[in-house]
Amino acid sequence: MATIQIDSLRKEFENDEAGSIVAVEDVDLTVEDGEFLVLVGPSGCGKTTTLRCVAGLEDVTSGAIRFGDRDVTDLQAREREVAMVFQNYALYPHMNVRKNLGFGLKLSSGLSSAGIRERVDDVAEMLGIGDLLGKKPKELSGGQQQRVALGRAIIREPAVFLMDEPLSNLDAKLRAEMRTELQELQHELGVTTMYVTHDQTEAMAMGHRIAVMNDGTLQQVGTPEAVYRSPTNEFVANFIGSPSINLLTADVDGGTLTGPAGFEYALEDATPVAGHDRVRVGIRPEDIRPVNADGNEAEASVVEPMGNENFLYMGMGDLELTARIANDLRPAPGETVRFEVDEAALYLFDVATGEALKTMTDETDVAVGEYTTTGGE
Amino acid sequence: MAGSDARTGTPPSTRRQALVDAFRYRRQALTERLPELPGVAYVFLLPFFVLFAVFLLFPILYTIYLSFFTFQGVGGTTVFAIDLGFFYFPVQTISNLEFVGLRNYERLLTDRQFHNAMYNTVFILLFQVPLMITIALGLAVALDASFVRLRGLWRTTLALPISANLVAYATVFVLLMQEQGLVNYALGLVGIGPIPWFTSEFWSRFTIVGAVTWRWTGYNMIILLAGLQNVPQQLYEAAEIDGANRLEKFRYVTLPQLRPVLLFVAVTSTIGTFKLFSEPLIVSDAGAPLSATRTIVQYIYETAFIDFRLGYASALTWVLIAIVSALSVFQIKALGGDDGA
Repeated sequence: MATIQIDSLRKEFENDEAGSIVAVEDVDLTVEDGEFLVLVGPSGCGKTTTLRCVAGLEDVTSGAIRFGDRDVTDLQAREREVAMVFQNYALYPHMNVRKNLGFGLKLSSGLSSAGIRERVDDVAEMLGIGDLLGKKPKELSGGQQQRVALGRAIIREPAVFLMDEPLSNLDAKLRAEMRTELQELQHELGVTTMYVTHDQTEAMAMGHRIAVMNDGTLQQVGTPEAVYRSPTNEFVANFIGSPSINLLTADVDGGTLTGPAGFEYALEDATPVAGHDRVRVGIRPEDIRPVNADGNEAEASVVEPMGNENFLYMGMGDLELTARIANDLRPAPGETVRFEVDEAALYLFDVATGEALKTMTDETDVAVGEYTTTGGE
Repeated sequence: MAGSDARTGTPPSTRRQALVDAFRYRRQALTERLPELPGVAYVFLLPFFVLFAVFLLFPILYTIYLSFFTFQGVGGTTVFAIDLGFFYFPVQTISNLEFVGLRNYERLLTDRQFHNAMYNTVFILLFQVPLMITIALGLAVALDASFVRLRGLWRTTLALPISANLVAYATVFVLLMQEQGLVNYALGLVGIGPIPWFTSEFWSRFTIVGAVTWRWTGYNMIILLAGLQNVPQQLYEAAEIDGANRLEKFRYVTLPQLRPVLLFVAVTSTIGTFKLFSEPLIVSDAGAPLSATRTIVQYIYETAFIDFRLGYASALTWVLIAIVSALSVFQIKALGGDDGA
């Protein structure tokens, strides 16, 4: 067990045509001992590169990586005592499950073959793959391969777990199951874990803390609630949350925001927009509250029933808005919908920098108990 | 003036394209108007099947037939004739044969020269194939390494010998390996030799091994290199994380992943060496003792086209085919396994 400390990590890739490409820039990140940290971001944001630098599969251009008080920056992957689960599992196709699981122990532990056998049996039992030990990877389903890959990682009792989109090749149902199982496993073993995904739902569901990356730089690190409710900038607000936050540009006139197609909002507290001519306004889909009178007007286009709630897509001029509404509310296409938004739920961002001017709450860390009292009703 | 059409203003390239399109449509329309003949595809395939039947299928079947006969000379008896009055064409028997049953095959069991040729071939095979595959694999791994520059140039250079003209290659080899040749000169500088590359029973076989290896290593290297480049990079990364060093990665990832390709290389090289003909011929022309360098195919050639014992040569040919097939099956069984993933 160890903390992972990344200091000013920078990674450039040499490219013959374009000179060098900066994949990761100036990333500072600490993963606490036993913590489950999820690195999330769109594809090409540098999250996998960061993970591979931690694994030792990529050399760093500059910066340092420490596991506990051990500087591993210049160590090779095999000397770092990390275990990694790859997106496509990377099981050895010519070895059966038993050999796949035991391979790492055979190479780097001083264990006898009887000892390895015992450990393999233990781990296989723990993951429920005991009856697969004699099979080759190609005879296994995706979910089973996933378990073997996981077993190969935990069997070595590593200091650090690294996971590169391990669930993305599974179907939706299995993914949700494995998500829970992975969390339980991590909790049980207490191994410091860095987990990469592009799926923000997965990030929210699994991480103790989430690190959001974009364009090679770290945008924000925080608990799922903090990242959701108090994003540091428009990118994080837009990336986290499903369906995505509604965003529009509005002119500021004192405390009044005027947007396209007649959007208007009167702020009670105008201090966040003081000194700004224009701002970006963000409204979470669950914060759009249909009302009978007053409010802004939009035209309903599509209703997607989810069972427990409905997703309502509506237009305000060229602007498309998404709202999560009660499941008994079903506006017909073309019908006019009036809606209001609580000021407490409004997000405001700087037009030029994207930096947050106002978010749901000013606190960055919200306790779970505290959180349940608010939330979109 | 030049460039665009003054009247229409369209640039010439567009007009040319329009003409090409018009031509295509016209041709398409014509094609569609032609009557559709059933089985017309086979007419187009016919030249291949005719050539295949005449030059491959017939000889193969005819050697089976021949192997039960003794050849007595070219045929002269007319079987039947085509007589059109102004045109007369007698169709004659191909050869004058005497049926001997299995006697050709019996004779092979006691034929010292055949046994000797077999021994030479196997001797050359046992040294040449492993040597060549090892070198080819080594070169492929070296070329696959990420730090190697000018990979394409190396690849081409190493593969060049297969395209070398046989006569030129033979001449150069003979010159190099002569008693006073460059190789012996170089060895002399370090105090070895001179080695009688052609005249010694022992060395002449290794001269053949060397020549064949030089010629075919590059070819096999390219196949192995292609195989290496198909090994998923993630397996190496997984092995690295699992604690494997360079050698262990080669042993536990590269070799098992390369097994199907290695099998292909081993089988084709074995067959190739069993069919060895030009190199032993060149070496014996340069003065090597026949007893040491004569291969099976060379012996078949001598039997068939110098001694004109076509029946016996056919029997030899079929025995060679049987041996090579059996060996290939054995290699596939031994190396192939059930998991050539």
